[in-house]
Amino acid sequence: MAGLTKEKIIDALKTIEFKEGINIVDQGLVSEVVIANGKVYFALDASNDDPTKFEPLCREAEKVVGALDGVTSVGVTVTAERSADSGGARGQNGASAGGAPRGDGGPQAGSSAGPNEGPKAGAQKIEGVKHVIAVASGKGGVGKSTTSVNLAMALKAEGLKVGILDADVYGPSMPRLLGIADEPTVGPNNEILPLEAYGVKVMSMGFMVAEGTAVVWRGPMVMSALSQMISKVAWAPLDVLVIDLPPGTGDVQLTIAQQTPLTGAVIVSTPQDLALIDARKGINMFGQVNIPILGLIENMSYFLCPSCGDRSDIFGHGGAREEAKKIGAEFLGEVPLHLDIRATSDAGRPIVASAPESAEAKAYIDIAKNVLAQMEKVEQDAGFAGPNIVIE
Amino acid sequence: MTSKNNSSNGSAPEGKPIVQELSSHEMAAQAVPTEIRLAHSREVLTVSFQSGDVFELSAEYLRVFSPSAEVQGHSAAERKLQFGKKMVLITEIEPVGNYAIKIMFSDGHKTGIYSWVYLYRLGAEHGELWPEYLAELEEAGKSR
Repeated sequence: MAGLTKEKIIDALKTIEFKEGINIVDQGLVSEVVIANGKVYFALDASNDDPTKFEPLCREAEKVVGALDGVTSVGVTVTAERSADSGGARGQNGASAGGAPRGDGGPQAGSSAGPNEGPKAGAQKIEGVKHVIAVASGKGGVGKSTTSVNLAMALKAEGLKVGILDADVYGPSMPRLLGIADEPTVGPNNEILPLEAYGVKVMSMGFMVAEGTAVVWRGPMVMSALSQMISKVAWAPLDVLVIDLPPGTGDVQLTIAQQTPLTGAVIVSTPQDLALIDARKGINMFGQVNIPILGLIENMSYFLCPSCGDRSDIFGHGGAREEAKKIGAEFLGEVPLHLDIRATSDAGRPIVASAPESAEAKAYIDIAKNVLAQMEKVEQDAGFAGPNIVIE
Repeated sequence: MTSKNNSSNGSAPEGKPIVQELSSHEMAAQAVPTEIRLAHSREVLTVSFQSGDVFELSAEYLRVFSPSAEVQGHSAAERKLQFGKKMVLITEIEPVGNYAIKIMFSDGHKTGIYSWVYLYRLGAEHGELWPEYLAELEEAGKSR
């Protein structure tokens, strides 16, 4: 048994001819070899041929491998699909005893106990970042980025260490909202050093391309850029990383949901029905990927006329509150439509940082407090913790 | 392959074939496993849910019902009947976000993302799905 190796099995398989002068291994038909307790398993790839023709080959392979020392049984499967990187026998994923998988840290639960727990992490914990929250909206133009920035500033005002990741790869707005035009630098360990504005760490695709330049990328490039902005940026130490998602329910949202251990998502909507319909889609998406909704924020909630003080409910009012009630989510607060918020945003001086005593800044600070309370609640909810994955 | 503690939640499958369906919030929240255990033999995945349901899912069952588009296609008509997977093993499991695992099989298949809800359905509806699969195989003249 000790002498049984994949190489020996591959060598044995090389004696089987596929066609004149070419054996099944060189033809690239043997896809994986797994050895477990003297049992040998491998697959023959029949994607380019009629699988039924493989029956005799299977029997022969079984016979040849079964004759090897230490082999107690042989399982051969015929597969008719080619995995993207199959190119002959590699089989590094050996399921040998105690094969502790690679990777650092388990899934989100992180309460691994056994020696073999914690497989290659999907939702990789970001080193030194305690919480990650996503700010999302179903639809564009509801003020999501402005809300993200001011929420981050308000969390900072609450005494937390905060970062903002602008995940809107196609339409980054953080450089403008925070008045930063620098490029991030690279640290000694090849990590990207985030920029800083008003004491908050910031990373955005907008730092890499000039304002007004279109990022014309396909999905996979966007995803790899995002992964880098999450894992290759020196975020630590942070209490909260706020991710400003692009509007909608697409690639970026899914990538973030799969690759970051999100504590929860905050949904921004105007009270308008049209926006709420899309907000519902956003909520639905997070539900599907098991990310808790921390709550809804109603932006552009009402308009207070600066000259007469009259209040106008331009987009209607209270829609987000009602929606929150309907779906059983928390209503985190409302932000009025106010010239100062717009002006400070465009000037790169978020209102919470530049006019912290204003009523508008206070609205954000109240929201931040509610967000923190919800984060705590969500984390206490044991139901949210993911499963322990145990590989025996 | 038995469900040790199957509650009555396992309703009959309504739409066939099963593809990864969107579930309501309640169902998603309930169906979070507490433990996913891959047996030393690599033949069985034991999934325990908060509800107390524990399902033992064989590698073959998981493989032939992979939610991957390679198996399910993009519509019911595109679904490909899987066969000859009796000896297949699970080689690796990877968590995907908060909601799923990716399972890698010894035949090289590794594109299936099994959400908690999907795993729950595979467990709860094994009694219907497995015989249906066997019948389909028989009809197609294929073997496990």
